[in-house]
Amino acid sequence: MIPLQISPFQYIVNGVVFSSIIVLAAIGLSLVYSIADFANFAHGDLMTVGAFSGLFSVAIFRPMLGDMGLFGLPLWFFLALAFGMVAAAVIAVVTDRIIYQPMNDSGSIGLLITSIGVALVYRASIFLSFGSDSERYGVARQGPIPWIRESFGVAVTPRNLVVVILATVLVTGLHLTLTRTTLGRKMRATADNADLARVSGIRTDEVIIAMWLIGGALAAAGGVFLGLEELVRPRMGFDILLIVFAAVILGGIGSVYGAMLGGLVIGMVHELVPLFNQWGIIPVGSRYAAAVAFVIMVAILLVKPSGIVGESG
Amino acid sequence: MSVATWVNDTLIRDPTERRIFAALAVITALLVVGVFAGVIGPRFLLFQVALVGMYALLSLGLNVQWGYAGLINFSVAAFWGLGAYSAALLTAPNSPLGMGLHPVFGFLAAIVVSALVAILIGIPTLRLREDYLAIASLGLAEVIRLIILNERQWTAGSSGISGIPSLLEWLPLTGAATTASIIVVLLAVSYLFLRRIHRSPWGRVLRTIRSDEDLAKALGKDTYRFKMQAFVVGSVVMAIAGAFYAHLNLYIDPSDLVPLTTFYIWIAVILGGTGSNRGAVVGAAVVIAIREGTRFLNDIAFIGNLGLDVAPLRLLFVGVLIILIMRYRQDGLLPPKDELIWPSAQKESSAASRGAAASDGGVVTDGTTSGGPSDGGKDQ
Repeated sequence: MIPLQISPFQYIVNGVVFSSIIVLAAIGLSLVYSIADFANFAHGDLMTVGAFSGLFSVAIFRPMLGDMGLFGLPLWFFLALAFGMVAAAVIAVVTDRIIYQPMNDSGSIGLLITSIGVALVYRASIFLSFGSDSERYGVARQGPIPWIRESFGVAVTPRNLVVVILATVLVTGLHLTLTRTTLGRKMRATADNADLARVSGIRTDEVIIAMWLIGGALAAAGGVFLGLEELVRPRMGFDILLIVFAAVILGGIGSVYGAMLGGLVIGMVHELVPLFNQWGIIPVGSRYAAAVAFVIMVAILLVKPSGIVGESG
Repeated sequence: MSVATWVNDTLIRDPTERRIFAALAVITALLVVGVFAGVIGPRFLLFQVALVGMYALLSLGLNVQWGYAGLINFSVAAFWGLGAYSAALLTAPNSPLGMGLHPVFGFLAAIVVSALVAILIGIPTLRLREDYLAIASLGLAEVIRLIILNERQWTAGSSGISGIPSLLEWLPLTGAATTASIIVVLLAVSYLFLRRIHRSPWGRVLRTIRSDEDLAKALGKDTYRFKMQAFVVGSVVMAIAGAFYAHLNLYIDPSDLVPLTTFYIWIAVILGGTGSNRGAVVGAAVVIAIREGTRFLNDIAFIGNLGLDVAPLRLLFVGVLIILIMRYRQDGLLPPKDELIWPSAQKESSAASRGAAASDGGVVTDGTTSGGPSDGGKDQ
């Protein structure tokens, strides 16, 4: 079979877009891992919850705002994004309050297994309220931006650009929060050593709420962007969870910056698989993109279990 | 020990267990009455018995990993699938390999393949914190599913493999009765074998690892080796269950390799009682009741008229069940107690505890179990 002639740079563009989504999801997962101390298997389905909450709000915002646009996308999409983020953040906190908090003494493994139950409840609720079909936000199809195509020879749509820019803004915002605000310092202290943070007078309870709010909102942003780039599906989050876990492990469990780096690498690799295949580096094509990400994760576990950034483990 | 004393010692003494077994006995009696009354087809019931047996086998396998050694394996469906596909590919005449071998080779291949894969996934993960295995095994399951789905030239992909031969067709029984008897024998053998190794020094080391791995290390145990052995044993049991399923259903496709299958087995084990082999069997029966029972919900006019789709309701039910068990009854229905103790020691201790009118906690504390460095079992 003759491979389609796609510029290698096109794969890199795709990789940057996909990485943005993975990074957003990985940060939340890593925050929960470091502060609440368990592998949250419901994180993928939290992304789905965010994506579907956004979809739900489209029906409200779209008639209100009509065709008003911003950066080449309709204004209502941005409001739907915000709605999805708020909804997922609230649901994450509520889940923590009614399910995870009361069983705090059952340890990280008990919480891990419980999170599977939570994931199934999220997904079942979505099936029950939205059905099992794939949906779209209804943003009109867009061609690539002409001047980028002419000068660089790669197709970049306005929505690609919006995803990458907004993800960068969110990640920068998180970075500033973690480093420049009291809340951020408290979060880092709690992640490092919760007991020490508590005896130092940090109200770890507030930190945990903040952590779920941030993690839920970022997961929802990732989910909405994934829904915008592909489809809004009830299984979208769970299907991507493994890649997000790979990113978190690659970066080193519990390290937020590691998760960002891991997300970038795993997202890139995921999209570059067809290119590597074309070049004969790996024998499998894009159908195995998730498997390649997983194999990289296992290889990292073998060589450096603490990940490329972190040292906990 | 006669059956009567066993029943007296293990069932009657504990009021909770007495209620559970009474409920099971009533349900069994109802099913039997249903068959004689002609409401339930005997073939259908035998098929369900075979399914329960297969689920029980899977649960026993997971119980070795999670219940004995505390290993979080989220690739139950994958090992089951490896077993089923090993059997189907080697024995079905119209499989892509087209060999049509005797089922024995299918079972052998299932054992070898699953053991190798278990070792491969164990090497990078079993030295690390237990949640790494959870993530890596879920990933492994996904990779295996992708390979079976995409490599059509070897596995027939999503169209599946049909024409798998039945087992032991020369037996003078109906097909359904034969498979049901085979699984009962398989289950009994596995049960006795796993119970024997659980009570052995090997099993005690595993229980120590589960409750305190550092302690086991301090006692000079190579915990990695023990965990690997438990992981391989459990995975092989799962693959045997898979190979049996291929010969039960006579058709196999990748759609059952999804993580939900794995989570069903997890429910069976934690509901039954983590670490308890009896619990695993009972849990498997409950899970089959949930899976098969919800299928008939649509037939009930009232629910059928609501126009609800049953699959998401079942998903919701399963999710809520996991949360509730983890929160309110982590010990499960039949937590492991007496079954960890040698029968002879058990006799003495039950006599002692009855004499002292002590509660059933007495058996654990009265020293007859001191062969192991720790009683283990429940650390969460």
